[in-house]
Amino acid sequence: MAKDIRKTHSGVAFQGGNMARKSLLLLLAAVLILPLSAGGSAEADDGTVVIWHSNSGVIGNAFDDIVERFNSTIGAEKGITIEAIYQGSANDVLTKVKAAAAVSTSTLPDIAQLDATAALDMKNSDYLILPSDLGIDTSSIMPSAIESLSSERGLLAIPFNASSLLFYYNKAVFDEAGVNPPRTLDEFAAIAPLVGEKGSDGSVTRYAFSGVPATYELGAFIGAQKGLSYMVDGENGHNGIPRSVLFGKEGTFRNFLVHWKNLYDTGFVSSITSGISTEFAAGRTASMLASSSNLSTVLSTVDGRFEVGTAFVPMTDEEATGGVNIGGGAMFSFSSGDAVKTVLDYLVSEETQLEWAEKTGYMPVNTGLYDDPDYIAFLDDNPLFRVAMEQTEASNPKVTGVWLPSAYQIYYSFQSEIRNVTENGKDIDKAVEDMEAAVQKALDDYAEQNIL
Amino acid sequence: MKEAKAYVFVAPAAALAILFSFLPLGKSLAGSFLRISQSGKVLGWAGLGNYVSVLSDPSFLSSIRNTLLFVVLFLPLNTAITLLAASLLRRKGRLTSIPESIFMTPLAFSLSALALIFKEIFRGRVSIANRILGTDMEWLEQPFTAMAVLAVMGVFLDFALDFILLLSAFRNIDRSTIEAAGIDGASAWTIYRRIEIPEIAGMLRITIFMALKDAVLISAPVMVLTEGGPFRSTETVMYYYYLEAFRSGNRAAETTIAVMMVAFSAIIMSLASRRRKDA
Repeated sequence: MAKDIRKTHSGVAFQGGNMARKSLLLLLAAVLILPLSAGGSAEADDGTVVIWHSNSGVIGNAFDDIVERFNSTIGAEKGITIEAIYQGSANDVLTKVKAAAAVSTSTLPDIAQLDATAALDMKNSDYLILPSDLGIDTSSIMPSAIESLSSERGLLAIPFNASSLLFYYNKAVFDEAGVNPPRTLDEFAAIAPLVGEKGSDGSVTRYAFSGVPATYELGAFIGAQKGLSYMVDGENGHNGIPRSVLFGKEGTFRNFLVHWKNLYDTGFVSSITSGISTEFAAGRTASMLASSSNLSTVLSTVDGRFEVGTAFVPMTDEEATGGVNIGGGAMFSFSSGDAVKTVLDYLVSEETQLEWAEKTGYMPVNTGLYDDPDYIAFLDDNPLFRVAMEQTEASNPKVTGVWLPSAYQIYYSFQSEIRNVTENGKDIDKAVEDMEAAVQKALDDYAEQNIL
Repeated sequence: MKEAKAYVFVAPAAALAILFSFLPLGKSLAGSFLRISQSGKVLGWAGLGNYVSVLSDPSFLSSIRNTLLFVVLFLPLNTAITLLAASLLRRKGRLTSIPESIFMTPLAFSLSALALIFKEIFRGRVSIANRILGTDMEWLEQPFTAMAVLAVMGVFLDFALDFILLLSAFRNIDRSTIEAAGIDGASAWTIYRRIEIPEIAGMLRITIFMALKDAVLISAPVMVLTEGGPFRSTETVMYYYYLEAFRSGNRAAETTIAVMMVAFSAIIMSLASRRRKDA
């Protein structure tokens, strides 16, 4: 019997034996040669600047346009070509950058577009080339965007796609209920039953809000408390390696949970963590929190079925006046040279940032645009885009995103703990304690492994 | 002389195994007792500190629970369905090639494409699954249903290969025994249960152990379909490993989990091969 089986197997595996073997050899040869040819191609000397980015969909098209314009104008003049490679989400780009750096720094791209979750790793890496080393003039870049990327090593990267958290709401629903977007979470709890809707069988047919806050949202919900609160020491890890958790002992996470549970208990909050925009566009949730950079995507998904409104993120309580932090992404460089500098200068130029902002909803980082008639005209035509800018102006620039090790894991831990409180009846103090322990463990592990 | 020739044939495979399996394993084993920075610098001796750190992490422990739940959901389902399909088609007929080729098509799908399709089918309340089943569920938003979807997808991924293996085992059974039993008046069910199943038991065991290995090591479908969510309820051991090792650059988790998983797999495989010898 065993013999028979073997016969069947070899029959399948070696059909057209010679061909299969030849192509296998070719494949093997290709695998061996691949790393050799990839090494060294990341150098900017030959006039090609490789950018790993995370822009897809509407935003990806806008980025392609910007790259194309460079290659056909400034690039063509100076003999520089941008090679833009989409590498997945910002998180994926970071994973790949770290993997590339672990192999050899020559496999790194010249520039990578990364977000705040990358900052701690980049700050402590020895392969990052700082904007100051490149000699880039950053005097015309939005101050809060600079602040969001500043560390004890100085500015880490050039802000490119600046965004902030924004409150999106179904204006038709809010108007019908005769309410304005809520200023605070308590106000939100008061109007939630008005903008939410229940069917005749008592099940919710439209939620007032969908989503579970994670690190990004808590950057505002915790960061804004008392005008300015940090989650961890070292100014949220911007100044030195963070060693201890602050949101526990300062009571900020607890305060948030109290108000959030109050909102949840109205029965009109849905704890979903994916597909929120789809639910919003389908009219199944009256509001959501999302990055301001999602605006153009949200508008195209809603496609005029109802009027979309944008507003400031609700404050945790009356004293939480710090506003929101600047998020989004920045261009981190890993090679020096004039070509890289030229490309970065181009990416933050007024012209590029105007095009970028108009096509995506990102806030332009070039302050020269703020009195630019074209930009002002654009905002007049698209008042929804203005809200994020106004919110940022009204915010304390010291409110910054938190730089944590194990950021991805902590993101989900926050959601788990919040849900434990809202849905599973977990004691708030216990949840704060567990969350504090989880983050403290990540900080300790990081320190243990990275500090002598 | 003959032996030398054998070593020559074994050499390429052995070289690859040493280069890509044993050396890295040795490095991980050594690294699991050291403090290593993200950039790969050895900072000092850790003793068992890395193991203590990982084993005392509540999310690592819950990743073990999640993996066990997946195994419990996936393994019986996968075994039952592949065995059923192979049993039904074990006699070659005029039309059996049609379902056969349908059952083999999952082999042609790429894993991530399939995961994206599943994600689309079960996305949100307005999902295709709800439309077809007439349900009103947020499949990927509830811990248990998300895990169930993952298990169904796991069956889809493993089905074709297991089916082919079992089918070929059925068809390679010596017909004379079956015919003799038939002449002696054994019913089809008795033949199936008393002759055919024992005959394919060896192959069935192999597919079960392969499925067990796949289940314990599952990470890629999790990565695409649920990203460990909702609320880390589908974060399996290997996905936790991926996040800590590659996303967070946590060398302690990277080395210790690698060592523990290799040890665990080695135990499973040695059990499997011992069983095979018995048979």
